[in-house]
Amino acid sequence: MPESIKRIARAVSSALLVPIMALIVAFALGAVVMTLFGDDPVAAYQGLYDGAFGSAKAWARTLLKTTPLILTGLAVAVAFKAGLFNIGAAGQFIIGTVCSVAVGIHFEGTPLLIHLPAALLAGIAGGMIWGAIPGLLKVYTGAHEVITTIMMNYIASLFAGWTVYAGGRQGQSPGPLWDPTARAISETPDVLTSAQLPLMGNPRLDLHLGIIIAPLAALLIWWLIYRTTFGFEVRTVGRNADAARYAGMYPRRTTVMAMALAGGLAGLAGAIETLGLNHKFAPEFGGSVGFEGITVALLAQTHPLGVVFAAFLLGSLEAGASRMQFESGVSADIIDVIQALVLIFVAAPLIIRSLWPGKRSSLAAGTKTQ
Amino acid sequence: MRYHNFSFALLTAFAVLQTTAQAEVKVGLVTDVGRVNDRSFNQSAWQGVTEACEQLGAEEGKDCKYIETRDAKDYADNIDQFIEAGFDVVVSVGFALGEATASAAAENPETFFIGVDQFQGAPLPNLAGLIFNEDRSGFLAGALAANLTESGTIASVLGTDLVPPVVAFGEGFIAGAKYIKPDINVITTYHPGEISQAFTDPEWGAATTKQAIDKGADVIFGAGGITGNGALQEVAANEGLFCIGVDTDQWLTLPAAHPCLVSSAMKLITPGVIDLIKTFSDGTMTSGNYFGGSALAPFHDFDDQVPAEVKTQLAEIKTGLEDGSIKTGYGQ
Repeated sequence: MPESIKRIARAVSSALLVPIMALIVAFALGAVVMTLFGDDPVAAYQGLYDGAFGSAKAWARTLLKTTPLILTGLAVAVAFKAGLFNIGAAGQFIIGTVCSVAVGIHFEGTPLLIHLPAALLAGIAGGMIWGAIPGLLKVYTGAHEVITTIMMNYIASLFAGWTVYAGGRQGQSPGPLWDPTARAISETPDVLTSAQLPLMGNPRLDLHLGIIIAPLAALLIWWLIYRTTFGFEVRTVGRNADAARYAGMYPRRTTVMAMALAGGLAGLAGAIETLGLNHKFAPEFGGSVGFEGITVALLAQTHPLGVVFAAFLLGSLEAGASRMQFESGVSADIIDVIQALVLIFVAAPLIIRSLWPGKRSSLAAGTKTQ
Repeated sequence: MRYHNFSFALLTAFAVLQTTAQAEVKVGLVTDVGRVNDRSFNQSAWQGVTEACEQLGAEEGKDCKYIETRDAKDYADNIDQFIEAGFDVVVSVGFALGEATASAAAENPETFFIGVDQFQGAPLPNLAGLIFNEDRSGFLAGALAANLTESGTIASVLGTDLVPPVVAFGEGFIAGAKYIKPDINVITTYHPGEISQAFTDPEWGAATTKQAIDKGADVIFGAGGITGNGALQEVAANEGLFCIGVDTDQWLTLPAAHPCLVSSAMKLITPGVIDLIKTFSDGTMTSGNYFGGSALAPFHDFDDQVPAEVKTQLAEIKTGLEDGSIKTGYGQ
């Protein structure tokens, strides 16, 4: 018994070594960069902490920033489990947004218990389709998913722009979701109250139900990946598709399903952001959460529950950025620097492991867990 | 002599008193997505804040601060930072922050808000929208262009006519040109696309400019963000033509246009921000729409190519536009 506990402890500490060290080194280097620019890193990090955790409002900000990152992080992590690199969370997110808005602004008079789930499901379905297309292209044509998901991102953002196009004087017709009362501005109307995610607690904090849905989704994905046949197939295909086929699995079907699942998660992220927070879509809402999902997934070592913590970490960085600028005058770009450093170190674990005063053997063992 | 000294001392004492009293004013600025030193709206507005703070004895970096916005979703959060810290005046820069600024103003009636380039449709008592008579800047640009042209044909390359200020620039330009030379030929072209493309399409700006040059235009007014910049750069590639920029002094922002950039039709953001902050510190909140000034940017390297009488004439037109003796004809 103590032996097995020790083994689990060793496995956990080995898994956590890289992300934690990556964070420490990234923050230390961030401090060096600030010092070089004549800024005060202590004041900056104090401001960052205050902005993320200093008050109820700050906590709310952090949770709201974390929510979409959990889901886009899962979208990347799930694909990783199947041996796929999903760069398309950004596009799947946008499609999820557009689909949920399309349902959310129509069907007036529908009760919340039907309208809200329908809008959420529309977002998930849109994302699933957007994710499944690169999966299908991969298994039937061999097109690499990195290329196709990037291209699907462009298509998604142009399509989304078209849906809210405000029209022009030269006779072009406006997009189907455009809000005519916004006149020349390209945006949708607000989604109806019956499709908005209910707020919890103090309404000034904007804490919507989505902040609970996202961690639950992580739990569900963990169960799906580690406790079901489908998950076993995903992981097997991810390790070795040929072996999976010999074992009687269908790697093609699994690849498409994994990409659809990934897309559905990113689509849900878009739906939650829209139905919970923005209540409408405008082209400039695209944002970067889709790409930050990659950092989240890598920092979490693609573990679904790790994604929650990694998203929380990145979310708190995002939430604290304004306060940090306000308190210390340090440009918020330093947040991007720190995120990039974290990404470099988790993507290149050998750099971190070489900093760790361990045995060569543990170094080799550690890299194998990647 | 002694009496003078005494009154001088009294004045100084009064000034010191006033300064210490007014150092209570705390001013925050939230940029649109981008840098505070963007040499455009953000920078002009921040310059207004720092100058106002200096005049009011408030300390930059302590009483006067800015936050650079990283993501369009953070507008409200960034404004909140200043409200939570008890700032008296919040300046938000750019049309895009209008909604966030208005809702913050509604929730915080004690705080004074200045929305740069934000038209107020439903005015609030504690929110001033600093907007501009673009037709007047355009009028001045048109008058300058009409004076410079030798071919008798000038052109304007503009962002979309979906945006009223752009139309104001375009119509003002025509009116100003006709004011100088009633028979002048003005080629006016608006970008045909939607707002998200119309200001970010330098290729269209360059191609449209080329067509205008082929039709004989020798002075071109480029007004429409990066689209307009594309027009200016296309003109710069030709010998002996003039171009006129827009919004801020583009000599400082677009070195590639130096070969042709004779001036820019400016919105005077800096003095507008200073005036609004000072009216607040004087104890009044200006609300609704506040019109800032319009002017041409300095001629820089082209200073000796603009005859003295033209400069005098332009100054007279500027005065005429301000006192209403000259009308642009736009929106009237």
